Amino acid sequence: MIKKSFGFIQKHEKRVLRRIMRVIIFALVLCVTGSFLPAEDDSTVIIQYRAYVHGEPLKLNKKYLNPFGESFEISRFRFYAGRLAPVYSDTSLKPKISPGYHLIDFSDTPTTRFELPVKAGACNGIQFLIGVDSIDQTRGAQSGDLDPIKGMFWTWNSGYLSFKIEGYSPLSTQPAHVFAYHIGGYRSAYNTVWRVKLYSTNDASFMITKKSKTVIEIGIELDYFFDGTTALHIKDIPSCTTTGEMARKLSGNFVGSFTELMITPSP
Amino acid sequence: MKPFWIIVGICFFCVMWINTPFPFRIPDGFPPPVYKFQNNPRTKQGFELGRKLFYDGKLSKDGNFPCSSCHQQFAAFATYEHRLSHGFNNQFSFRNAPGLFNLAWQKEMNWDGGINQIEVQPLAPLLDPHEMAENLDQVIIKLKKDKYYPSLFNQAFGSPGISSQRILKALAQFTASLVSADSKYDRMKRGEIRFNQYEQKGYEIFRDKCARCHQEPLFTDFSYRNTGLESDSTLNDLGRMRITGREEDSLKFRVPSLRNVFLTFPYGHDGRFTTISEVLEHYSKGTVQGPTLDTGLKEGIPISSDDRFYLIYFLETLTDSSFIKNPLYSDPDLGVRNSAPVDIH
Repeated sequence: MIKKSFGFIQKHEKRVLRRIMRVIIFALVLCVTGSFLPAEDDSTVIIQYRAYVHGEPLKLNKKYLNPFGESFEISRFRFYAGRLAPVYSDTSLKPKISPGYHLIDFSDTPTTRFELPVKAGACNGIQFLIGVDSIDQTRGAQSGDLDPIKGMFWTWNSGYLSFKIEGYSPLSTQPAHVFAYHIGGYRSAYNTVWRVKLYSTNDASFMITKKSKTVIEIGIELDYFFDGTTALHIKDIPSCTTTGEMARKLSGNFVGSFTELMITPSP
Repeated sequence: MKPFWIIVGICFFCVMWINTPFPFRIPDGFPPPVYKFQNNPRTKQGFELGRKLFYDGKLSKDGNFPCSSCHQQFAAFATYEHRLSHGFNNQFSFRNAPGLFNLAWQKEMNWDGGINQIEVQPLAPLLDPHEMAENLDQVIIKLKKDKYYPSLFNQAFGSPGISSQRILKALAQFTASLVSADSKYDRMKRGEIRFNQYEQKGYEIFRDKCARCHQEPLFTDFSYRNTGLESDSTLNDLGRMRITGREEDSLKFRVPSLRNVFLTFPYGHDGRFTTISEVLEHYSKGTVQGPTLDTGLKEGIPISSDDRFYLIYFLETLTDSSFIKNPLYSDPDLGVRNSAPVDIH
């Protein structure tokens, strides 16, 4: 009996040892091949989001007129940008998509600018998600820019908002003349998450050289948020704060307001 | 070289000591759980922290509404004898508080399935102005000021810091661990005991008439169905449609588990039925016709008074008394309560 169980332990130990050896060999192979491969990210891109109304930089709590002549001021403007990657004009270069999300908050300007490690190469555009994709929506409790404490998470119909535009307009019929577009929803029919590819003017390509810093500026013209595929009159639609057809449409307008792209070397 | 290995050894033992693994056992006959504690490895310290948070009024605005005020262990973590639960400032909750057990098998939470993962579930009652009415910043401030929490979070997560993510992960370690699988029914299934003839007869009727939706072993198929309940004009609850926005989901609610059904009364998403008899009566002759009514309920379910008698015998075997008396799940400061307290919120 003792012999038998001893035999089992020996057999078991052998199996464990073999497994450990296999892991070590695998790790070694990885290290060796890894040292021969070129480094993945050898350059840096600085992403800068800029918002404009009538071609001028957006100022919060400043009175503007929208394309329908409605007076409005914006008090809060935030959105999620995620999974960024450069678009290379050299199609043999496969972009490595950065996995995280950034909450761009125009009342907290440092959040509108961040660095992105990238591969060097000729680049003529940028791709990113507006909103949080369905996989990342269902990951449970998250931290950093996806911390629900940031006020961009719906609790009773779980999910991150794609964007939030709030402010005042004398034409809003809501209490205190507030208008509020809290746009979210990631389920199929009412998806408000968009993958955006923006190209530089005339498709001009810009060489991102190794160990340099390149600035990519992305311009958002909020005029198009109102005067988009769906005409958004504040007096008719002063708020949209649930998932559905309207949220989907307004997310389309929002995507349409991403118009400009400038690629320049960092000064 | 030597001191290096000594340090590594010490670190290893510290980690082992700090994070005591706490394996999750899947009961015999249960399918694999949906929530596998992925990115949230279950440890004794994490579980105990979650348990303490679950019973702590600090998570609510005025301190009176911990999770456990609506989810009481003696009621299988439902609210005992309340149609709707009570929350901040003398308000009612929107729906009947469901019992909390076997949540690790549940893909979506709430009666309408609006919550897509167990870890983010507590945010709904916590931030709801009718329920706990608190906000996350305040909870974190209160916990940081507390005498014990900072070190408990440190032990549970291996580094100092209190964040919403850590609070939610700790709570999920507790709530996903609430497993109820030791009822008389389970003991019968394991061959430890046998049903008496009433229970056996009830079980057969159950399989014939109820198991289409209340599938064993979890006693639900986790689907959303309109069971022909007339919409209440004060609540105007559209159920699943509130989440999906689709007409075809109007008035559909999640099929609740029938485990511990004797303890979780009143029944229905708005707690309109006080007794099991009333529920059975509804299915036999009370279903309201409508475009989204479940196809199997168009003519109701023929349940005779004999059927009802036996069914009740069977449903009683689903009460898991070891679950409601398990000291592991009880208030860490008070222990197990054997009966409903005189005053409940």
